[in-house]
Amino acid sequence: MLNYAVKRLGLAVAIVSVAMFLLFCMIYLVPGDPASVALGPRATDAMKEALRVKMGLDQPIWVQFWNFFSGAWTGDLGQEVLSGRPVLDVVLEQLPFTLALIAGGITWSVAIGIPLGCWAAINRGSFADRLVGILSVAVIAVPSFVIAIYALLIFSVSLRWLPAIGAGEPGHLGDQIVHLILPSLAVGLGWVGYIARMVRASMLEVLEASHIRTARAFGLPENMITYRYALTIAILPTITLLGVGIGQMLSSAVFAEIVFARPGVGKLVYDAILTRNFPVVTGAVLVTTVIFVLLNLVADLIVGALDPRVRSSF
Amino acid sequence: MNPQKTNGLSRRSLLASAGAFGAASLAYPRMAISQDGKILTVRSYSDLQLLDPAFRLSLPEEDIIRAIYPPLIEPVAGDVWQWKMVAAASIEQLDGLTVAFTLKDNMGFTDGYGEVTADDVKFSIERIADPANESPYAGDWSALKEVEVKDRLSGLIHLKNKFVPLWTTTLPTPASCIVSRKAVEEIGGKIETTPVAQSGQYLLTEWVPKQRTILKRNPDWAHEPGGFEEIHIIPIEDPATAERGFEAGDLDYTWTSVSSLPRLKESPPAGSVVLEKPSLAYVWLGMNKDNEALKDVRIRRAIQHAIDREVVVDAAYFGAASVGNGIIAPGLPGNRDSVTYDYDPDRARELLAEAGAEGLSVTLDILNQTERLTAAQVIQANLADVGINCEIKQNDSGTFWSLGSKEGDYFLELQLVLGRYSMQPDPSWATVWFTPEQIGVWNWERFDSAEYKELHEAGLVESDPAKRDEIYKKMQALMDESGCYVFLTHEVVGAIHKDTIEPGLKPNGESLLADFKPA
Repeated sequence: MLNYAVKRLGLAVAIVSVAMFLLFCMIYLVPGDPASVALGPRATDAMKEALRVKMGLDQPIWVQFWNFFSGAWTGDLGQEVLSGRPVLDVVLEQLPFTLALIAGGITWSVAIGIPLGCWAAINRGSFADRLVGILSVAVIAVPSFVIAIYALLIFSVSLRWLPAIGAGEPGHLGDQIVHLILPSLAVGLGWVGYIARMVRASMLEVLEASHIRTARAFGLPENMITYRYALTIAILPTITLLGVGIGQMLSSAVFAEIVFARPGVGKLVYDAILTRNFPVVTGAVLVTTVIFVLLNLVADLIVGALDPRVRSSF
Repeated sequence: MNPQKTNGLSRRSLLASAGAFGAASLAYPRMAISQDGKILTVRSYSDLQLLDPAFRLSLPEEDIIRAIYPPLIEPVAGDVWQWKMVAAASIEQLDGLTVAFTLKDNMGFTDGYGEVTADDVKFSIERIADPANESPYAGDWSALKEVEVKDRLSGLIHLKNKFVPLWTTTLPTPASCIVSRKAVEEIGGKIETTPVAQSGQYLLTEWVPKQRTILKRNPDWAHEPGGFEEIHIIPIEDPATAERGFEAGDLDYTWTSVSSLPRLKESPPAGSVVLEKPSLAYVWLGMNKDNEALKDVRIRRAIQHAIDREVVVDAAYFGAASVGNGIIAPGLPGNRDSVTYDYDPDRARELLAEAGAEGLSVTLDILNQTERLTAAQVIQANLADVGINCEIKQNDSGTFWSLGSKEGDYFLELQLVLGRYSMQPDPSWATVWFTPEQIGVWNWERFDSAEYKELHEAGLVESDPAKRDEIYKKMQALMDESGCYVFLTHEVVGAIHKDTIEPGLKPNGESLLADFKPA
């Protein structure tokens, strides 16, 4: 297990390094002068030049890359272009909102997707099974921003049950949860379909397994067989799926954060790209990449710990 | 004082809030913010970045700066450009080169920095004008010689030369906001996102980045108080999101996109008022005269004749905006009734034939916004009608605003560009961007006229309104003659507010936060 964990950790570091190098290359190729954009129309040439130097844009790309990475290892992600605030602080301020959004999305997808998948598997071939199949594909196919806008128009604008914008009163958990309902639904609904289909397929396989047949032969109650013996095994692939899904939820979070005017890392990066605030872009992307890779690592380690076949195949 | 708030959650608050949440979400499904009428919740299109009057970056910051650091004077809310005194008890122009002011008594800085004095006015103005400080707003005080302190509350602003925009675009702006000399020097000369020594009608008490800024009435402000006890400013970049936020009851006031105006006017949300204000901004189609394909003035003239401006503006702004005939909006000296070269497709075809440019292909760079794209598509159709093939290139804001920069590598490849600049209520604010010094900076058409520059300088010192009118009309005629411009519109500003409030807006629709009042 230790060998497996070390290999997976090495792979995680490589993934982060390659992702950041690609990001630097993209930033280098993006048109537009960051200093002009940041300082606006009234800035003089001297002011723009000074800002370029401050941002390190006068340096060759490999020097910029090295400076960023050597700083990143010590927790210094640079400073925000205009306010001079540390980028790490700026990113960490926004990070809880995005994590809450993704956690909310996962909650929706797990809370709805797993029971639906189980139900479909237990009622295999029935009308209910086919209905779940159709619904699953439907929610996978609809983009999250479409769900976000319609949810907002129905529940906020028309019914006025839920707030349309913001993240709620700082420090007021109840208000923050109320503000999280619609955005997290928009982020998580698509994953209801993925999870339902995954759980259904996995459950069908497990329900045919010999230990389940044995349990039935011993006369155990069907609910106990389904939820204690079948689901605990059938849910394993879902954990891996969620690890990958977090990456997609991070990108869905950008739309949700814009549509619901929520703070968050996605919107932070979006705004920073538009204003060519490159230190914030690189810092935020590094933090989210590390989180994504770590969560995948954790998911893989959990599956590895539960399933010896995974460990031996790596 | 550090108003920045973090979002840390303690276990205690988590448990307490979770317990309350269940009941609250059932019994009280909507957490209305401004339920008691004491809090005003407005949208701004960006979060604050710098609170220093000398280094401010955007209009939303100006709103906040003006509320916490009082200007000598500021515009009056309404439909006519006038000003009123805020920090000044009296202010008058003694002669062409001298302005005398006396501050109101009993104005104090927070954080123990004492009272607001004439020396603070001197410091606040001279730090903007001083080239060593590299304030982007140094131009506002380019005519400043010095501020002379007469006594504790009085002083004289001495100018090197006459400067007519002083009373329209310098004094009534954050360029006259007063900061504490002592406080600013203590923090190293520049205010960033943490305000120091506030002294205005409001105090910035909380800033949660990307979430909200809270202004509270200054309890020590002894003069006319702001209309609401608290103002919550929510940064929402996307106007459509803000409109939905308003319709859901989360905002009391917001700007709207022009494209939403017809819908909102036809069926306004219950309990709301839709406003339409004339904008000072100007939108035009620019042509780069140094681009190889557009060097011949006959080709540029043909494009001027090819564009049906009425149709372009109608399509892009859903009939809400009218055609503009220059860069200076109605109501200001220099506003024109017509352009020299208007829609005449037959003449356009003749000119193209004369220039041997039939079958010409050009590119049109635009910002990726709905109105611009629609306008560009109509322009594309107009050009196709006279035999010019036009390719539209959409750009994000970061790319777009660098297209014509001499520091980039695209400024000579740039051909047609759909431009829009915002404006202050003085014509010099529009003409300044098209002088020869601005070539490759903001003059992307590379229009180069010594006469234009002379007229621009004359306009800055000419105080006779009739003569100013003549000067600025002549300047726009020169722009017409260059063949570099097709003037399209001054747009409109749309806004929507609850009928329980009375918004304080400048004539061009920009907000004056302290002037918002309960209806």
